[in-house]
Amino acid sequence: MFRFISQRLAMSVPTLLLISLMVFAIIRLVPGDPALLMLGDMADAHSLEVARSSLGLDQPLPVQFVIWLKAVLSGDLGHSITTNEAVLPLILDRFQMSAGIVLVSVLLAALIAVPAGLLSAWKQDSALDFGVVSTATLLLSIPSFWLGLLLLYAFGIKLGWLPVVGYVSFGQSPWQALSFIVLPIVTLTLVELGAITRMARASAIEVLRLEYITHARAKGLSERAVLWRHALRNSFAPTLTLIGLILGNLLSGIAVLETVFTLPGIGRLMVDAIYARDYPVLQGCLLLVTFVYVLVNLLVDLLYPLFDPRVKL
Amino acid sequence: MNKTLILAGALSAALVGTAHAESVLKVALNADIRSTDPGVNRDTNSDAVIMHITEGLVAFREDATVGPLLAKDVQVSDDGLRYTFHLRDGVKFQNGKALTSADVLWTWKRFLDPKTQWRCAPEFDGHGGAKIVDISAQDPLTVVFTLDKPNGLFLTSTALPECGGSGILSADSLNADGSWKTPVGTGPFQLGEWKPGQYVELLRNPNYTPRDEKEPDGYTGNKSTSLDRVRLLVIPDPAAAKAALLSKNVDLLIDVTPLDATELAAHSGVRVTSSGTMSVNALLFQTRDPLLKDVRLRQAIAHALDSAQIVEALTGGRSKANNSMVASGSHYHTAVEDQGFTFDPAKTAQLLREAGYKGEPIKLIVNKRYAAIFDMGVFVQAMAKASGINLELETLEWGTQLERYQSGNYQMMAFPYSERLDPALSFDSMTGDKDKESRKVWDNPQAREWLREAQREGDISKRQALFDQLHQQMIKDVPMIPMYNGNAIAASRDYVKGLRTWPVSKPRLWTVSVPAAGSN
Repeated sequence: MFRFISQRLAMSVPTLLLISLMVFAIIRLVPGDPALLMLGDMADAHSLEVARSSLGLDQPLPVQFVIWLKAVLSGDLGHSITTNEAVLPLILDRFQMSAGIVLVSVLLAALIAVPAGLLSAWKQDSALDFGVVSTATLLLSIPSFWLGLLLLYAFGIKLGWLPVVGYVSFGQSPWQALSFIVLPIVTLTLVELGAITRMARASAIEVLRLEYITHARAKGLSERAVLWRHALRNSFAPTLTLIGLILGNLLSGIAVLETVFTLPGIGRLMVDAIYARDYPVLQGCLLLVTFVYVLVNLLVDLLYPLFDPRVKL
Repeated sequence: MNKTLILAGALSAALVGTAHAESVLKVALNADIRSTDPGVNRDTNSDAVIMHITEGLVAFREDATVGPLLAKDVQVSDDGLRYTFHLRDGVKFQNGKALTSADVLWTWKRFLDPKTQWRCAPEFDGHGGAKIVDISAQDPLTVVFTLDKPNGLFLTSTALPECGGSGILSADSLNADGSWKTPVGTGPFQLGEWKPGQYVELLRNPNYTPRDEKEPDGYTGNKSTSLDRVRLLVIPDPAAAKAALLSKNVDLLIDVTPLDATELAAHSGVRVTSSGTMSVNALLFQTRDPLLKDVRLRQAIAHALDSAQIVEALTGGRSKANNSMVASGSHYHTAVEDQGFTFDPAKTAQLLREAGYKGEPIKLIVNKRYAAIFDMGVFVQAMAKASGINLELETLEWGTQLERYQSGNYQMMAFPYSERLDPALSFDSMTGDKDKESRKVWDNPQAREWLREAQREGDISKRQALFDQLHQQMIKDVPMIPMYNGNAIAASRDYVKGLRTWPVSKPRLWTVSVPAAGSN
């Protein structure tokens, strides 16, 4: 197990290096220049030259890359071009907020969707199945920003139960923090419910048709035991893979939702960095996102044998 | 026991009753600020916030002329080289220390130090505008600036919001190692907390020393405030900002589009106010383009456009068409500047024939960052098409468009010029030698000479004559078509009082009052 983990982590090093090189090159291929964006239409040649020089953009690209890579290897991701904040604490702070919302939402979605999918598969072609599939399809089709705005309108404006904008951390005030993140969590949970439910249902239908389920029933096991002990465990592996993909995807930024709910998360930071051509922040964010993907996939691989006995690490 | 409880309860109730109820204003900011260092790492939101904290020697008045602020008065020597500022007595910084000429010297020395990277240093070190050759203190309340040659823009440049109004700072604004800590100025508010990505909080400055005037006047005058606290919340999404206003999570939106303004005005309890600003939305031509170098084609396009109708539709009637670089709100805007391009399709047809135009496509660059710019492009395309001119829209991301503007790599471009508070600055943004600066739109040696003169000249009537000449020549050359000056539209809850709009598109929150917390 330890060897497997070490090997996988070691394999992520070339991936991260390659990604860093690609990110560095691609963002610089995009037209637009941070110094120019900083000075706007008031940029005269002299001011532009001074700004470029102070940002180190007057150096040749390979030199800029080597300087950045050296700093990264020593744990320094540089400073934001926009606000001059240190990049590493900035992205960790923003990531923490996004991760909290994403983890809770995906956990909630999984806790609702997996049993719902299983029950739907068990009662295949019944009214319950139809209801679950229709709801899942509907939720799958709703864009997250639209659902978010709808919830904001209902609970923020019409009912006035929850604040529409703002954010405080749990450290500052747990109750207030909860009031700010409850709508984003509900939105994300609802949006992800659809995909997970459909996957859980499809996998469960496949497993429920297998011979060992018939065998279990023939042995006289209760339906509850058949479903929870045999069907769920054996059908969960593909759903777990999907949950892993969703987690990786969401942890790389829920920019749209963060914008709608004015949450200072990693997704919004990344979008702002793209518009401002804030190279250090963008490079730092993408490195972190790549690392998170690697970690989530590793975690899914480690959990796989728990649900699929055929898989050995 | 019961008596003790009742007594304690009554005492608590009395204490609560007499406690000071805070007056808090919540304002939506469409983007975070970049820094709190005046005029250094800045953008328009950073300027708007910092102008509440720091004050310069002079500032813009309500009519966009320049008047004294920390200075009691300003005397200019006959040769136009020496500016003597007499400071107001008794002014205190937010940390309680008295303002003296030493602080002015310290601040300006820091501004002009290249290490500070003050955005406006080129305006004062001879690279672009004036050149200060000496700053000296005659006594604790008198400072003299000496220039190498007369400059009509010296005071204006000093007051510019993008320079942080050249706000005078206390040396306590820096850390011991000389790095930036926090702005300690003399403005009506002091910085409470800046939580990047979330909010900026301003607190009332207990040491604020108002000017003698009864009323505020632009960025100067009496800026006493009744607000205890201002919280500027970063809300990038316009829909979320509207929702926040409607749910009273914020009290004021300061950057509303005309479309949203119409929608918000329909809600009870919401008030919309607007005023023309000095920004310019314009259509630029690349006069070195093989097709557009023919002035007749540019004139044909200008005559194909009904500017009044376009501007009416774009702004919901809030702005009027203005084909001049001299903003409508400027005191230099006269009947001469009102003479713009006339809508004349027959003239367009004649000019197109003379120019030999055969429907060749012309690319018009627009962006979606600024909705008005995109919409303007669509209207222009439609009207040009009606006259047989084949404009093709090319929608670019703002950063990309800005680079194309800077390099001059375009045929036509719909472009938003940020506000310049003096016509010389407006003309300077577009006039110049294209061989030296490819971003310049109008390359006419005579116009460059007039502009240089307007930058040197301090006499108002002489400057007026120069701006008139520049405007008339620009209408002949058609290097661009200024369409209209921007609009600052604010939407607020009806309990927000005292909101005043002016030609500068930045709020002045010291004029605003809201009921104390809990009463709205």
